[in-house]
Amino acid sequence: MAATIGGDLPSATRAESASDAGSATASPPGQTGPLLVDMAEIRAVLEYYASRQWTDGLPVVPVTESYLAEFLATTGKSPDDVVLAMPHLNRECTVRLAAINAAMAGCLPAYFPVVLAAWASLVGERYPTRGIWQSTTGTAPLLIVNGPVRARIGLNCAGNVFGSGFRANATIGRAIRLTAINVFGLHPHLLDQATQGTPAKYTLCIGEWEERSPWAPLHVEHGLSAADSAVTAMVIRNVVHIEARHTTVPEHLALDITGTIARTGARIHQTSSALVVLVPEHARMFHDAGWSKDDLRQFVFDHAANTRAELAAVGKDAISRHTYWRLPADHPDAMPDEASTSADPERVPALNSPAAVQIMVAGADNAGVSAVVETFGERGNPPSVVKVEDANEP
Amino acid sequence: MPAVSICTDSFVPAAEAMARLYGFPGYQFALMPHPLASLDDAQLRARARELLPDILRILGTES
Repeated sequence: MAATIGGDLPSATRAESASDAGSATASPPGQTGPLLVDMAEIRAVLEYYASRQWTDGLPVVPVTESYLAEFLATTGKSPDDVVLAMPHLNRECTVRLAAINAAMAGCLPAYFPVVLAAWASLVGERYPTRGIWQSTTGTAPLLIVNGPVRARIGLNCAGNVFGSGFRANATIGRAIRLTAINVFGLHPHLLDQATQGTPAKYTLCIGEWEERSPWAPLHVEHGLSAADSAVTAMVIRNVVHIEARHTTVPEHLALDITGTIARTGARIHQTSSALVVLVPEHARMFHDAGWSKDDLRQFVFDHAANTRAELAAVGKDAISRHTYWRLPADHPDAMPDEASTSADPERVPALNSPAAVQIMVAGADNAGVSAVVETFGERGNPPSVVKVEDANEP
Repeated sequence: MPAVSICTDSFVPAAEAMARLYGFPGYQFALMPHPLASLDDAQLRARARELLPDILRILGTES
């Protein structure tokens, strides 16, 4: 069984000059003079972490007690406070373990308050503590960051928002994954039984581009102040892009969104849920036509549906009385879905309520390409928005 | 109450990992071929019949 991290850290790595003629050496950027580090030793440290399987497959940053202390200094929480427990595994993650893995993921200490808010949001989100990270469904956590902390730590909310290139986005999301592996022992092929998984399992952390949104940002919509920073975690399956550069008619785009949400391949339960990530251009199009976020939500709810024939054609026209997952009506476990007893039993809504759709703005202001994030579960409840508490901020 | 866990062969590594986690390395469970979720009623009954000898063996029932 692969080891998990819970004990002592290695002592501080050497930082004196190296005279080994056979090894490549380098100075830190911006420094001249004598060489300070032995690259072969650095590689040996990286290989040590890899050999212990303390990794998502990519190299991790070696962590020392002194470096760990810089992370712990950013929070008023005790190192032994529990940030998330998984009782079915008899394992829990403490602030100290979360900090070790954040440092290993490449976070800077200033990111750690965001990582802790992410853990608190994941607790409120509930799916992770109930074992979803071990499921064949292969989900991943999406972290949405709002508020002034985005600018303080350089968290991207504009172009390539779901892509690479930004340390805060890359490493805050990765901190969650490394913790799942190293603290909870969720190694693929073992306790992580994901059938295919998703690229988001490496990292998925995005900012909302509040300054380009015509509406209140996500955290303000859910009760926080615009001056607060916040993290909202959502367990997701994938990100599906919507090409809509061609139209200025809000109904065109809204129907493209509903069609994506109601795709039959996504349907597992009675209904699904979604996070709509609009680019600024698309958000403005709705706003300029007089649509509020709630108007868009209502339109999507009203139109996102399948006909019963569509679901019957893919064998999803009933519900299992045991798992409540969709299956064919002639299956021995089948019982009628909720839509069967509605006024229009031939129409099967894809959403349980307008609140099953969350809306935010992110991505470059350069094209009409938005996204539907397929969030796991039926939802309809408020998202788990958690304020970032930074010990070094007023 | 005596119980026997049944799992499909696809989940052996995960099942063994959970057994180790709970301090029961070598915990025995009855195995059957994947897939299970797509079997019909008759196929499920056939699987149950095939599994019975192994379930009784793990329970320690005298034949």
